[in-house]
Amino acid sequence: MKLLVFLAFAFFSGLSISAGDYKCGSIECYEFSPDTKDKESLQRGLSAYMNYCYGCHSLKYSRYKRVAEDLSIPLDIYEQNLIFDDSKIGDLMHISLKESKAIELLGAKPPDLTLEARLRSPEWVYTYLDTFYEDSSRPYGVNNKVYVNVSMPHVLEDIQSELSEEEYDRYIADITNFLTYVSDPSAETRKQLGIYVILFLLIFTAFAYLVYREFKKDLK
Amino acid sequence: MQPKSPPNPIRRQLLTSITSLLGFVGVIFAAIPFLSAFKPSARAEAAGAPVKVNISKLSPGELMTVEWRGMPVFVYKVSSEAQNALSADKSKLADPNSDQQQQPEYAQNDTRSRKKGIAVVKGVCTHLGCAPKFYPEATSQDFDPNWQGGFFCPCHGSKFDLAGRVYANVPAPTNLEVPPHYFETDSTLVIGSDGAS
Amino acid sequence: MTTDTRTKRFLSWIDFRFPLTEVFERHLSKYPAPTNLNIWYLFGFLLIVVLAMQIVTGLWLMMNYTNSAEEAFSSVEYIMRDVEYGWLIRYMHAAGASAFFALIYLHMFRGMMYGSYQKPRELIWLGGWFTYLILMAEGFTGYVLPWGQMSFWAAQVIISLFSSIPVVGEDLATWIRGDYLVSGITLSRLFAFHVVLLPILLIAIVFFHILALHEIGSNNPDGIDVKKHLDEDGVPLDTKPFFPYDISHDIFALGVFLIIFCSVVFFFPTGGGYIIEYVNYEPANPLSTPAHIVPSWYYTPFYAMLRAVDFPLFGLTAKFLGFATMMAAVAIFAVLPWLDRSPVKSIKYKGILSKTFLGIFVVSFFALCYLGMVPPTETKTLLSKIFTLGYFSYFLLMPIYTRIEKCKPVPERVAEA
Repeated sequence: MKLLVFLAFAFFSGLSISAGDYKCGSIECYEFSPDTKDKESLQRGLSAYMNYCYGCHSLKYSRYKRVAEDLSIPLDIYEQNLIFDDSKIGDLMHISLKESKAIELLGAKPPDLTLEARLRSPEWVYTYLDTFYEDSSRPYGVNNKVYVNVSMPHVLEDIQSELSEEEYDRYIADITNFLTYVSDPSAETRKQLGIYVILFLLIFTAFAYLVYREFKKDLK
Repeated sequence: MQPKSPPNPIRRQLLTSITSLLGFVGVIFAAIPFLSAFKPSARAEAAGAPVKVNISKLSPGELMTVEWRGMPVFVYKVSSEAQNALSADKSKLADPNSDQQQQPEYAQNDTRSRKKGIAVVKGVCTHLGCAPKFYPEATSQDFDPNWQGGFFCPCHGSKFDLAGRVYANVPAPTNLEVPPHYFETDSTLVIGSDGAS
Repeated sequence: MTTDTRTKRFLSWIDFRFPLTEVFERHLSKYPAPTNLNIWYLFGFLLIVVLAMQIVTGLWLMMNYTNSAEEAFSSVEYIMRDVEYGWLIRYMHAAGASAFFALIYLHMFRGMMYGSYQKPRELIWLGGWFTYLILMAEGFTGYVLPWGQMSFWAAQVIISLFSSIPVVGEDLATWIRGDYLVSGITLSRLFAFHVVLLPILLIAIVFFHILALHEIGSNNPDGIDVKKHLDEDGVPLDTKPFFPYDISHDIFALGVFLIIFCSVVFFFPTGGGYIIEYVNYEPANPLSTPAHIVPSWYYTPFYAMLRAVDFPLFGLTAKFLGFATMMAAVAIFAVLPWLDRSPVKSIKYKGILSKTFLGIFVVSFFALCYLGMVPPTETKTLLSKIFTLGYFSYFLLMPIYTRIEKCKPVPERVAEA
């Protein structure tokens, strides 16, 4: 029976293709391993996000305070440097750009990005940020290999020309790490707690097994 | 079938006890997330967060009402004569020295304030919760010919002085509550926090 | 007075007024369970545990969930982020649903293997079948509640199946939706079903199911009728009291189950997309259908059958025929007690034909489960047709093969097995 359960488990976990098709639009996704334990990367990513992305893309399910605490940024420093309007530290991360204005300027509403890394995968986000290219047929002169005919301009164009390839790679890796974190902020807590839970259950089950075997002796 | 009797009853008892104990401990651990989930969520914390108030434009005799955690908090100026009067005559008060814990330590004084001249009290009558009305002038009133200034609650007639201290022989039992507060700057009052030490 | 005497006096006070001790002993502590019960007999207990867990986690989720189209999605994120340990409660509930189905399929398979549905246990089997039906509805209504893209489109697809019914279809679908499209109105009523109607039905039927079981007594892997040989107190010889023998086995099984379950909850909470589909991290959008709409894994065998029937017949549309096939595949379980003409209960003593067809059923079920998850191609649709036939052949040919095959003699006593 246990074999059956294990086989079923393995069978289903092997079918990852069917459950979540993450192909990156017109190309295969680049390889990327998100690291949400690297707080410095998350901080850089947050800073980049606030400077380049937050003008159009809200993070409306996330709160400033939670981000500050998880990234080990003191609340007053966060308030002074990373909140650009009169929002309070406990507020949700809304933006002031109205949908109608966005459609007027860009042709489409920039989606909220809180869950983007979960919806698409971190690899998708990373590849997306890395595959903007010149295309004079598009309104903003750029196109994207992952999201073909995207309405978004290449916001990081200046950054990309200023930085070396390696540095830009690091830059978008930081943003991707940050978005991965914000899409699932309880991930690290969950895994740490999980270790203790499994450990406890192993001990409990071992004793439960001994009790079972002990009583079984009566039935020989 | 007739089960045989255990060959080693002590081992059996020991194993059963340990497993039961572990099980019991497990249940307690499992209950923790459910009990914790009852605590105020981040949304409640945000809504109940301290409120900043600009008091630079506050004029004497004016009552500013600020909402904090869904309740009205009264902020008003108290002149130096009024402050002296608060220390002088305490004969009509039920708890003149604020012995009951209705205020933080820094407000346990005759003006029940952290900063002289600015009063911060919850606008919630300690009888049954109505919002008392502000009568700052020391003139004769219908409810008290010798009124020295303070609050009168229209619901059941409780009276409080300008420091929010309750009169004796009124329905309300205790002084108006002073919420935690501090002055970030001379013009910015923060209600709902004692401030960094 | 010692604690022991106090307890005894308290118990007799209760027992005089309410059959507490009698019920406890008859249905729990002294319930006679056959001595040859094996691993396949652990799933009933685990199902009760999971049911209790779903009720508790569901109750907690309800405290923070908002069942309107506007607020549902963000209320789930509120639970995941702002409510302390909300993420854990949510993951437990989502994984619990999958666990519920995995366990119920294993539990049903035990019945199929050992002939637990045969006379006089038909009502137990029917009660269980009804439980399965309610559970399918419960799973469907539950998945709609987060109001993500998959929630919305699954509701859209499943409810529009009803519109395929000739004559009344369209009106019926509108009546079910309460609106001309799947909307917040539909969400609210599915919420009411999920939280009140179906759980109450579920608990009632499970109660009936266990009562019916205890009236007859449990079957066993050899299909031996243990009530034929009783001791001087009328207790079957080849049984042991539930306490402490079966309970200790159940507790051990619970430990193993929890290890697997918690591994999923803490380390693979979305189940690689099988528990929470990634597409559901996008709020419902009636104007844009996701590339692949797939139902949860526990429905995919039937979904594969639905898609396999892609031809009309006798003036009935392929859509309706597919729907009817799908319903028939679930319904046919109910008549199993009357399809099985074998003189023996357990597969261990049945002939080669029964074993072969059961094997065909298992392979077909797994194959259809996989085929229901992947986008259709010509080959895959052909395979779905073949495996649908395989699935039904187990049932439809059973009256024949169980009668003609040669069975082994069933021993009288467990010790002889």
